[in-house]
Amino acid sequence: MVWGTLLALLALNNGCTTPTQPAELLQLSPESSQNRAMQIRIFETSNENELLSASAAVLQDLGLQIEESVRQMGFLRATKERSAREYGQDFTRFFMGLLSLGNFRMPVDLHQKIAAVLIARPINQDGTKHEVRIMFYRVVWQGDGQADRQYIPPGEQKMEMIRDPLIYQEFFFKLSKAVFLEAFTI
Amino acid sequence: MEHKQAVWIALLFTGGLFLQACAPPQPGPNLLAPTAAQMKLRSYQSRSFEATDPSQAMRGVVAALQDLGFIIERANEPMGLVTAARFAEPNYTDVMGITVTVRSQTEGHMMIRANAIYNNKPIEDPKVYQNFFATLERSLFITKE
Repeated sequence: MVWGTLLALLALNNGCTTPTQPAELLQLSPESSQNRAMQIRIFETSNENELLSASAAVLQDLGLQIEESVRQMGFLRATKERSAREYGQDFTRFFMGLLSLGNFRMPVDLHQKIAAVLIARPINQDGTKHEVRIMFYRVVWQGDGQADRQYIPPGEQKMEMIRDPLIYQEFFFKLSKAVFLEAFTI
Repeated sequence: MEHKQAVWIALLFTGGLFLQACAPPQPGPNLLAPTAAQMKLRSYQSRSFEATDPSQAMRGVVAALQDLGFIIERANEPMGLVTAARFAEPNYTDVMGITVTVRSQTEGHMMIRANAIYNNKPIEDPKVYQNFFATLERSLFITKE
């Protein structure tokens, strides 16, 4: 019983981090320039339409479906939904249950939505250079669990930005091949 | 005698308490009038920027939001409207939303207004909006070049 509570507390502990202070909200983080460099590529073209439709095609190749597009803003949003099951989590759930003598059932990730937001915009006056910025993120839905007598209902959401540079490199590699142009970094 | 008096006073008190519930509150003439707090909040949330092209200002807003890690949800150029959201990392369960409107004010000036919410509660701290406009100013400056 005590062990169960302790384990549950440990597991839930990351929910207790101090909330972000208002003064820090909407302030550029130290990592923002690094993220910018990863998410932005520059293409020497004046044809924004072609850049956008090629981007949409690459997103489709990656299995995403276009959900929203605004031509005037050079804006695309695409998503795909997949299973989020990982065997590792099931093992952890089993051993946590064993250790807590069945008092704690850890919720595992069940379902995820992977999304991409893309913005293409001219970066010089005559519009001969365009930058493309893409951001990937995912939303994960968790299954149910239990901590002592407290039932944890399913459906809790967790969201995270995808910061794996390889994913971004792959996207831009495909895009530059699609528009027959070299992608420059900033 | 004293006892009786006390009972009467108690009765009067409770009667008074109930009476309040009987009188329906009359809507005052300034029910929908802006309050001082609202006006103050609006002034925190708005800022005028030197820009001639609304489209360029919009793109500057989008770039600033992206720099701040926001995910653009909706963008409407003719209306001058951008809606974005982000999770307040490292708290992955906290969500922050923002709506930015861009309107032409006078010749060469754009009025930009931002409304931010944190877990569905409006942010009323002027510091947060100052931070936003500082980032936006930089982004608009870069876009202008």
